[in-house]
Amino acid sequence: MIAFENLEVRYAAAAAPALKGLTLALDQGIVGLLGPNGAGKSTLLKALLGLLRPSAGGGTVLGVALGAPEAAKLRARIGYMPEYDALIEDASAYEQVAFWGELSGLAPESARDRAHEVLYFVGLDEARYRPVSGYSTGMRQRVKLAQALVHSPELVFLDEPTNGLDPDGRRRMLDLVLRVHAELGTGVILASHLLGDVERVADQLVILDQGQIKAAGSMAGLRRALARRVELRFLDPLDAAQEAALAELGAVLEARNGLYDLELAEADPTAAFRWAQGQGATLIQLTPRHDRLDEVLLRALHPQMGA
Amino acid sequence: MPIYAPTLPPAPDLSHGQPPALVLARFDMTRLWRQKIGRFFGFTFLFLLLWKVARIYVDHLLQTNQTFKPMQDFAKTILTQGADFQADLLNPASYLLWFLVALVGGGLVARDTLYRVRPLMYAHPVAPRDYLLAKLGFASALPFAILLPFALLPWLMSLILAGASGPVWVTAPLRLLPAMAVSSVLMGTLAAGASSMAATPRAGIGWVLGLVLGSATLASMIQGLTGFSAVQAINPILLAETWPQLFVGVAHPLMGWGPALLGTAFHLGLWTFVAAKRTMPSEAVI
Repeated sequence: MIAFENLEVRYAAAAAPALKGLTLALDQGIVGLLGPNGAGKSTLLKALLGLLRPSAGGGTVLGVALGAPEAAKLRARIGYMPEYDALIEDASAYEQVAFWGELSGLAPESARDRAHEVLYFVGLDEARYRPVSGYSTGMRQRVKLAQALVHSPELVFLDEPTNGLDPDGRRRMLDLVLRVHAELGTGVILASHLLGDVERVADQLVILDQGQIKAAGSMAGLRRALARRVELRFLDPLDAAQEAALAELGAVLEARNGLYDLELAEADPTAAFRWAQGQGATLIQLTPRHDRLDEVLLRALHPQMGA
Repeated sequence: MPIYAPTLPPAPDLSHGQPPALVLARFDMTRLWRQKIGRFFGFTFLFLLLWKVARIYVDHLLQTNQTFKPMQDFAKTILTQGADFQADLLNPASYLLWFLVALVGGGLVARDTLYRVRPLMYAHPVAPRDYLLAKLGFASALPFAILLPFALLPWLMSLILAGASGPVWVTAPLRLLPAMAVSSVLMGTLAAGASSMAATPRAGIGWVLGLVLGSATLASMIQGLTGFSAVQAINPILLAETWPQLFVGVAHPLMGWGPALLGTAFHLGLWTFVAAKRTMPSEAVI
């Protein structure tokens, strides 16, 4: 779906590049693009839309090279829901979604029919005839999602789609994101600084900070890695030789008061008992550490924090 | 609680759409249609048009009925005749039309700036040149469409009533249409350029009026100080009025073909450049 290598994007006025040395390949699915404000998420989306030309490196989106002249045509295959409130306040949701559909290449009549369908899909039924200036935040977000979907894109970029929504509105928006991928088969890149949103819908994760990729991979792989984190307690304190030998089991993340946090090298936790037996130690407790995604994010962003 | 559709069918083929510039201009047209200013200006321009057409009819009555001979002689002393009359057909191209262009054109680009929809447009298959073409095209087409009946209806009326000997020349549209095109493009370009500098539609109206009236004042001041009349070529109001006169062969007291061409080229170049610069994406690479 998307691949880039050593991608660097630099704004004309800025001394430092906004994105530097990004190398990644993303499969079709829901990709969570996570990072604090100013990490470079929106810049990456703009570069992938072909709005920014890479200053170094390159990549492809849906098979089209970044910065290529045919990027304008590529934009007809992509939907973009911006973070900011880009709504035409003096037009109804129906009028503006039809307008965006026409701009994407739909014939006027098809765009009008399609506007009804897509607004119904996002849950704006009768309200679609009212000017958007009177809409709630949740309704406005849904209009923005509708305009991104009106032309059946192969890929949609959703930039902070749950911004400003209450918990119920957030849940509904994320349900819609899941439906967009599951029912329409559309690839989704979801940029957010809200971990819960990404954790709920994404099947791949990219963590960005200061224009660099700090971590990337599938959510399943990430969860598998998290599942290897265990806390061990022994009957008697380990001696120095035994503590040194713990590295055979996996990476020791923390040791405190006879408790050892480990990331096991293999998925089978019974290996810890076998190791204890081999070392003559008595393992009395093995507790899986249910790390949350926020811990992964914090470790990716601040490696010096350790475990 | 919103009602969600079971699912969304695939969109139709994307290859049957209209060019982006046309889609953008059509959307601006529907926006204008919704605004109430159309009614006021529609009524006013209709009244002016009726006056022009009625004058042709009255002229025909005076010509064909000897009873009105003294009246006809009097009318000739107060009403424009010959080439002046042809140019005068387009005299709505003065303050009223400028005011309409300011009200409509002032918000054309500024409204998109206010609502922050331009970056989203560029995230669609729309290039900055499509956007510019749409705005300049719409702002220029509006005065042209208003002036069109002023050039054609009196001409048609004159032809029907008096044939080739009517008050409007048979060849008048051939001279007036190019003049209208130049004046309209001048108005539209200035309005779009001024609107691109504004952050809100109201500020856009202020920019258009300020630039038009400011240029006119500046030209008059320089002429007053130096006595150099060709400097009036920077006055867009005078330029828009001059083109019909030049095309029908009226010798303008202040401006000939040369200054008019230079002044028009200056305004078109400057305001197209300003609009292009101001509507480019800030990190423009496309």
